Amino acid sequence: MKTVVTAALLSLLTVLPGHAQVAENNYQAEEVVTGLHYPWSIASLPEGGWLVTERSGGLKHVTAAGVVTAVAAEFPDLYVESQAGLFELQLTPDFDNTRAVVVSYACGTGDANNTCVVRGIIPEDRPYRLTDLQMIFTAQPKKAGASHYGGRMTWLADGTLLIGLGDGFDYREQAQNLDNHLGTIVRIHADGRVPDDNPYLHKQAPEIYSYGHRNVQGLVYDPVRDAVWQHEHGPRGGDELNKIIAGKNYGWPLVSYGIDYSGARVTPFDDLPGLVSPLYHWTPSLAPAGLALYSGHALEGWHGDLLVAHLVGRRLQRFSQDASGEWQLTEELLNEYGARLRAVHVGRDGAVYVLTDSDNAALLRITQKGTD
Amino acid sequence: MLRTILAFIIAIIAAALVASVIQTQFNLAALSELTLDIDINTRISTIIHDIIHFSPTIAVILLAALLIAFPVAYFLAQRWPSYERWLFMAAGGVGLAVAFSVVDALVPMPTLIAANRTLFGFVLMSLTGVLAGWVFDRLWNPRRYELKEPVA
Repeated sequence: MKTVVTAALLSLLTVLPGHAQVAENNYQAEEVVTGLHYPWSIASLPEGGWLVTERSGGLKHVTAAGVVTAVAAEFPDLYVESQAGLFELQLTPDFDNTRAVVVSYACGTGDANNTCVVRGIIPEDRPYRLTDLQMIFTAQPKKAGASHYGGRMTWLADGTLLIGLGDGFDYREQAQNLDNHLGTIVRIHADGRVPDDNPYLHKQAPEIYSYGHRNVQGLVYDPVRDAVWQHEHGPRGGDELNKIIAGKNYGWPLVSYGIDYSGARVTPFDDLPGLVSPLYHWTPSLAPAGLALYSGHALEGWHGDLLVAHLVGRRLQRFSQDASGEWQLTEELLNEYGARLRAVHVGRDGAVYVLTDSDNAALLRITQKGTD
Repeated sequence: MLRTILAFIIAIIAAALVASVIQTQFNLAALSELTLDIDINTRISTIIHDIIHFSPTIAVILLAALLIAFPVAYFLAQRWPSYERWLFMAAGGVGLAVAFSVVDALVPMPTLIAANRTLFGFVLMSLTGVLAGWVFDRLWNPRRYELKEPVA
């Protein structure tokens, strides 16, 4: 009996903040660089260093020594306002040979804008520059307002690209409309062509892969489990962690665990037949931003875990799959650092890199303690 | 003074309750349009939820709007006393419509209250400011005929 009680207490402790603090002592976090202006994404270059996008429009190269230089880039019709701006840069799977990248950003004007994705080349010679831009995707329709763009992307095993989008806030019912891209995840080839096995080829928006999303803020392909993990912002409450399956409806705004910012119910339902329920939901909202799958071995016990950075929650969470395949929150980090976190990325060195979110933001590196 | 304060508070409560019920109908109608069946019990529980959780939001907006709009109506009524009731109603409606626009310009999202996304919704929601104007003036300065006891 005593053993059972002790075990129960220990399992309780793992969710207490105090315990997370103890666990955090196994790791060290250091600032690689500060002075970034609302950075949004990190990509590790094979030759070392990182490419960092800034929502305010900057593309930066950061060296291992912490030297920051601007990468010359002109994004057609870039729209910077509120949540709009430059989003994510991802290296293509064949980057080592082609030096090709894809970049998502808000394009258009205050009255007519949405999420665009361009493909470009980063030649090896310094200083770095982004050239040969080709627009490969423009979310339709162009809408008013500067909210809810999504912008996170991931490559599937077959070389196609998933792009997470948003509902534009004022257009939430459109997340159920398969004739436009609002509130969906789309799948395209690296050159923008629509894959011929997409689920809604007969609709006006044949790029759609899944729908019923509010504002996708994390998207990662897991090659070991052959699964796509995603998170999205709910309204007040109801931030969701989902497993994305082609053709499925994730329910927004028909179902939600959150309510509107005004206090009103968006919907009376949190679960309905035919709609995919989240694997985990954050209520109250922590505003997850950025999702990474830890595929390295440098951090002990993290292999195969999901890492979620939080804006409002000001912490990094680690989720592990239990024996039944359910994601369990196992650890919280960077609580004491106290910064809004925008992105999390696993480097080629197995360290975890995290971006804070401010006009003087930092790139943080998390490593196992005593492994400099 | 106590009469003024009480009339003001009751006007805000009345308008907040009506506004809350109106916006619930817009939200549920949008879901019904997406072919969702919503039974009467769910509708009632949603109305009650929103009265508890949405009314405070709209009450704050009404408070800010009417604290400016009603004094304006009062001064205009000094000049045109016979239009006093109409002036309070107009000030309430215009004041709330302006307040909605100011709030939407200040908050990060395009439209804070979903019902205000359409012109029809915006007008109906703003009309609760007209109701607030009527309730306030009816209580604060009732006409003589309004005070007459009904003859049994």
